[in-house]
Amino acid sequence: MDALSGLMHGFAVVLQPQLLMFCLLGSVIGTLVGVLPGIGPLAALALLLPVTFTLPPIAGMLMLAAIFYGAMYGGSTTSILLNLPGEAASVVTCRDGYQMALKGRAGPALGVAAFGSFIAGTLSVIALTFFAPILGSFAIRFGPPENFALMVLGLVCTLYMISGSVLKGLVMIALGVLLGTVGIDVVNGRERYTFGTINLTGGVEILALVIGLYGVSEILLNVERVISSTLVTEKLRHLFPTRADWKASAAPIARGSLLGFLLGVVPGGGPITAAFMSYAMEQRISKTPERFGRGAIEGVAGPESANNAAVGGSMVPVLSLGIPGTPVTALLLGALIIQGIQPGPLFIQQQPDLFWGIVASMYIGNVFLLILNLPMVGLWVQLLKVPYKYLFPVVLLLSVVGTYSANKNVFDLWVMLGFGAFGWLLRKLRYDLAPLIIAFILAPMMEQSLRQSLVMSSAGVWFFAQRPIVVVICVISAVLVGLIVFKPRKNIPSGGDL
Amino acid sequence: MLNRLTLRGFARLVAAAAAFAVAGAVGAQDLAKTKPAGFPNGPLEMTVVYPAGGGADLTARLLARTMEKISGEKILVNNRTGGAGMVGHTWLATQAPADGSVMGMVVNLVWGDAMLRGQGRWTYTDLEPIGYLNSDPMIWAVTTNGPFKSASLAQIVQMAKEKPGTYRVATVPGSMWDYLIEQVEVNTGAKFLKVPFQSGGAGTTALVGDNVDIAPAFFAELRPHVDSGKVKLVAIASQQRVKHLPDLPTFNEALNGKDYEWTLLRFVVVPKAVPADRKAWLASVIKAAMSDPGLIEDYTKLGVYFDPALRDAANPTAALNALAEKERQFYLKTGRLK
Repeated sequence: MDALSGLMHGFAVVLQPQLLMFCLLGSVIGTLVGVLPGIGPLAALALLLPVTFTLPPIAGMLMLAAIFYGAMYGGSTTSILLNLPGEAASVVTCRDGYQMALKGRAGPALGVAAFGSFIAGTLSVIALTFFAPILGSFAIRFGPPENFALMVLGLVCTLYMISGSVLKGLVMIALGVLLGTVGIDVVNGRERYTFGTINLTGGVEILALVIGLYGVSEILLNVERVISSTLVTEKLRHLFPTRADWKASAAPIARGSLLGFLLGVVPGGGPITAAFMSYAMEQRISKTPERFGRGAIEGVAGPESANNAAVGGSMVPVLSLGIPGTPVTALLLGALIIQGIQPGPLFIQQQPDLFWGIVASMYIGNVFLLILNLPMVGLWVQLLKVPYKYLFPVVLLLSVVGTYSANKNVFDLWVMLGFGAFGWLLRKLRYDLAPLIIAFILAPMMEQSLRQSLVMSSAGVWFFAQRPIVVVICVISAVLVGLIVFKPRKNIPSGGDL
Repeated sequence: MLNRLTLRGFARLVAAAAAFAVAGAVGAQDLAKTKPAGFPNGPLEMTVVYPAGGGADLTARLLARTMEKISGEKILVNNRTGGAGMVGHTWLATQAPADGSVMGMVVNLVWGDAMLRGQGRWTYTDLEPIGYLNSDPMIWAVTTNGPFKSASLAQIVQMAKEKPGTYRVATVPGSMWDYLIEQVEVNTGAKFLKVPFQSGGAGTTALVGDNVDIAPAFFAELRPHVDSGKVKLVAIASQQRVKHLPDLPTFNEALNGKDYEWTLLRFVVVPKAVPADRKAWLASVIKAAMSDPGLIEDYTKLGVYFDPALRDAANPTAALNALAEKERQFYLKTGRLK
């Protein structure tokens, strides 16, 4: 079955009222999950997994998949409105999205996030439709050396995100790396920096870190300032992106889609890395990089497209090979296995109804999500008019619930509060938090894959030179570093993170 | 004889006897009525220390579904994750309420956590096994296009002796993945290049991507790649050949050994302090669930097998604890435990 007739077959499977209802239901839940701070797609899918037992496999799968990509739509909402990331993948959206909201442009920011998500989501499903098997066998070649090169590239991109003092930026990267070393060392199985507490053996929970540094510290800052009034006093201007906004966003959306999809396919990537790298790329390409961090719409359009495209990309290895690259796709795989279906390299041939049905449903789901999200823009913007003294307790409560839902471990809540206070201090001292988060994510993977690579080879570091993908990625990284060193960018004054 | 039994041991014996009396004499439908007085009302928690969607999680969810059907109780599967299971295991052993409202669906990796990493805070006896579920023996797999495409295990070992430290095998440090490789090395003199991964699944992925030459893994995750012709199974680390893979030799056969036995065992535990009658009731519900043909079929689809020695054991608690003790002896012998 070629891709086109396969897709037609998929639509024939999915276009029936009952299945469309499940797709819609998944989209609604996904949007909610995205909007609520802390509660991520993983926690939501784990909660709903038992529901799918009694459903036919196709119904359960398309609903779970819709929750996954739906969450990427909603994730930007609180980032833009409250400077509080709804997902780790929306952290970077806070930078410019929130600045836009402060300037009365929350509507265009939300609008461009929704449209960008839709376009990227659809483009990535198209790529999934036509290239899944080829890309799957490409992704599987990614061993430790390739992952290492990719992580290096990611960290190099972080350099581009430093705004204001370079020294402060480097300090934050170093801090992120340090925090990332906590936990069990994968190479020798020993514990590092756990201070004798079992709660740290798994490392610092990323959700607790993100919600603490961003969400809790944001609440602390706002409580100092606006307790008796609303967040945004600026008059709300357009509700939808203007013609100029579209012109500025079109290219970032296209680039974000491509980058996000590719990073989603490979094992070390994923939505979070995709969003960060897209942001760094847009800032680098922009003729006016000084606008970034102060409400540049490109800084919303790129990352929000990239994280959606990465979701489509991450479906490639799991559907074409049965190999999950992220915890969420591992859960989707589990949902199939529990139905007695073990996806693998023969999945597409053996279960054409299921594979093409899921793919077709993703086209439909993205349309549902766009229709759901656009009218919501007006509603969400009204949220900014709610006095902060009513808003923040609710937001704090949701953050606590969301963080707890990740591991069901109360210790994580203390971590969250601790980083909240620490984040408040850092922001008072005008340190930028984003490099810390991305370094925290990338560094452990980088260390692990480097050490795995060195174990794997007897040729030492020359081992890397023998692998073409590694060489290509390393050359790109070297060029990017060269561009910083030899063409010093303008010293951008610290953005509006405060 | 009787005076040599401790009081706790005696209580355990009574509990076990009660469990099997209950399971034997009472039909599934009547189990709801035999619930001991004072058993907490409200939903029961089945703790899983690994993330949702994985092998342990699926095993627990299928079990919980069947137990709900049989007992009429609501059972929630709760993933208390972190530290490769360490956080959840410690919670179960030291913090979980001991009123019968919390069970843990664990695999035998819990013993390694207790003996090697528990820092003396808890021991494996703090968690009492109340029901055996299934087993998954470790299998060595190679690719059909790699250096071992047509080699038997004995030939692989021979090749690894001739070119020591060159053939790459995936491992998970400090776990049975590691121990099996180490056993093969110590007993045969072969030497492999051990590439560490954070989980067995990551090792399988590396095998399929030609980044390692051998991956120790479990049948369910290997099956799709065997079907597609990419991967070939070499040997299985069980005592005897297993029913679903009759042509796959055991490590013991292939290498003339007797203690190559590394199997993932899945079972249910409760905190030691749970009252005996409640333990017995939970055990009887698990026993009844495990004789449900639907559950057996679901488990079989997951590619596991049921070890008759554990399934039919008169006292599964003692049988599982004996295996834990055997593991402890291995740690003592290899100097991991003093």
